[in-house]
Amino acid sequence: MKTNTNTGETCMTLTSKAIRTLGSAAMLALMSQGAAAEGKLNLYNWGDYINPELIDAFSKEFGVEVTLDTYSTNEEMLARIQAGAAGYDLVWPSVHMHDIMQQLGLLQPANPNQMPGWENIDPAALRSQADPNGDYCMPYAWGAVGIFYNKKLIPELKSWDEFFAYANANPGKVTMLDDLRETLGVGLIMTGSSVNSRNPDEIAKAEAFIAEQVPNIGAFRYDVIPLVTSGDIAAGHYYVGAVLNVLQDPENLGYVIPAEGATMYQEDICMLASAPNVENAKLFMQFMMRPESAAKNAERLTNGTVNTAALDLLPENLRSNPSINPPAEVRAKLQIFEDLGKDLRLYTKAWDRIKTN
Amino acid sequence: MAGDRFMAARKRNALLLLLAPISIILGIFFLIPLGIVVVYSFLEPGLYGGVEWTWYPYNYGRILGWPLNDYEEFDPIYLKIFATSLKYALMTVVFSLLICYPAAFWVSRRSERWKGFVLFLITLPFFASLLIRIYAWLLLLRPTGFVNTALEAAGIISQPLDLLFSGTAVVLGMVYIFTPFMFLPIYANVEKLDFSLVRASQDLGASPIQTFLRVILPLTAPGMVAGSIIVFIPALGNFIVPSLLGGAKVQMTGNLIERSFLQSRDWPFGSALALLIMASVVVVLMIQTVKAGRAKGGRPA
Repeated sequence: MKTNTNTGETCMTLTSKAIRTLGSAAMLALMSQGAAAEGKLNLYNWGDYINPELIDAFSKEFGVEVTLDTYSTNEEMLARIQAGAAGYDLVWPSVHMHDIMQQLGLLQPANPNQMPGWENIDPAALRSQADPNGDYCMPYAWGAVGIFYNKKLIPELKSWDEFFAYANANPGKVTMLDDLRETLGVGLIMTGSSVNSRNPDEIAKAEAFIAEQVPNIGAFRYDVIPLVTSGDIAAGHYYVGAVLNVLQDPENLGYVIPAEGATMYQEDICMLASAPNVENAKLFMQFMMRPESAAKNAERLTNGTVNTAALDLLPENLRSNPSINPPAEVRAKLQIFEDLGKDLRLYTKAWDRIKTN
Repeated sequence: MAGDRFMAARKRNALLLLLAPISIILGIFFLIPLGIVVVYSFLEPGLYGGVEWTWYPYNYGRILGWPLNDYEEFDPIYLKIFATSLKYALMTVVFSLLICYPAAFWVSRRSERWKGFVLFLITLPFFASLLIRIYAWLLLLRPTGFVNTALEAAGIISQPLDLLFSGTAVVLGMVYIFTPFMFLPIYANVEKLDFSLVRASQDLGASPIQTFLRVILPLTAPGMVAGSIIVFIPALGNFIVPSLLGGAKVQMTGNLIERSFLQSRDWPFGSALALLIMASVVVVLMIQTVKAGRAKGGRPA
């Protein structure tokens, strides 16, 4: 759910199915030419979260047969790996899931920090608490979760305040994500708390803030790109991947990281403890550390890159885009989710109440 | 006499043989998973999904609204959500009944060719995926969608109506999905209706309303009851329609179950909720069985 082509949960399954079909088609294509294949590599990634050209390029350069399966939530991936899904080499967990998986012993150290190309990785991207030096996983990409809007309805949008003010004047014309952490996260930002708060009072304040907006919010959903593009919805809380649509139609569409701050996501590439193709997996990590690879990926995903050397290779419209490559003072206002363990229930109940009343 | 007993034994054996496959399938694919759900609903949620194998009876208390820790208060939100589900499921039943009952009479009076064609039309939606059909409603109902543009072009409305992401859209979507399930049992019943009884009632001087209430309605009631049950059960547990057409603002127990398993990683609570839905279905079926039994018992021999 990190990119613009993803849709509502149920439709996401459709998307990921379609992608899986595409993936296996690509695999067939590779197999037919892969007489020189020296081995295999099995990737398990989010739907539409890697530039397919990169997979082709890697497979050609190293003569490795690559398969790609997809998932649509961290929990789905974790459940499959825990249930014993064998054969995958690399997975793309979000940082907090990287921590969980490492603690559960599902990962093995790939030592990306000793690979050539590690110097390209921004040290600030080592966000995992369990893996502060990059012994296990390689930071992959990151992005903010801001607001995607239609300029015909809202000429300019800069902040959550303006977003909620517009919703107040035009009830039903904005959407927020159907995700309890993300949407309560906005409530926490607006009430001045950390998005990882474990304090019941702070969470209660955030709940009250969001609950007050609920009558004006049209829907809680992921699949808002077509609705914003057509003007059915004026603005939607959405991932930075929407910038792809903005670049296609900058006259009518906009994307902003709100002034008050926002949440952000980052995924790391991790090698599973059960990986059958360790060497190829490491080769793939090195391949992804190349600035050209990272740049190509960022172009396709329109999100932030953790590869500092790749920044210079990005097309101008991406490099100068404040949502994709935000200045330091905006970056300082972005917060990443930590796993809350049992305290997640504080949020669950709050979210259930928001949706009920 | 011995021959009779032999025949009876043979009949019983044949019955056992014929029932064996369905019993095995139900046993493996229904009872065992159901058993897992029951067991899980009494366990503690695992930190990252799954369960801890510790006795934990509080999931049911939580459904009733009891607080789990000291900072929570008694708040029966889950019962409220369940009440919402009941409301939408009942509305779906009533509206699809209102559509299907007259339609069944109309169809049953057509020629055989027409009947076949209409039945084909009714089963036609099953050829397309449910998700795609729901998505089509989203396109129809949205502010710039077909319904609003048509109404605006006809000058009936000046501002697009907020049809999408509302309770109305949810009921509309569910009625649309479940109409065929209501239509087919009613139609089967109406089709068999002996119209000479209707004529007899008229000949004996009953008013049209009396004929309907005392002859037609009792004779077609079994089809209506069967259709209502078949619609009510899946409507009660539905989560796709409220999620897509209700904009996830309309919330039914199905959505809560889905969220418990995925976002909130609380499988035991999801299991308990699933059993709540199951229990309500069983109650409905039991009422129906008791009533049907009485109707049979009460009929003079």
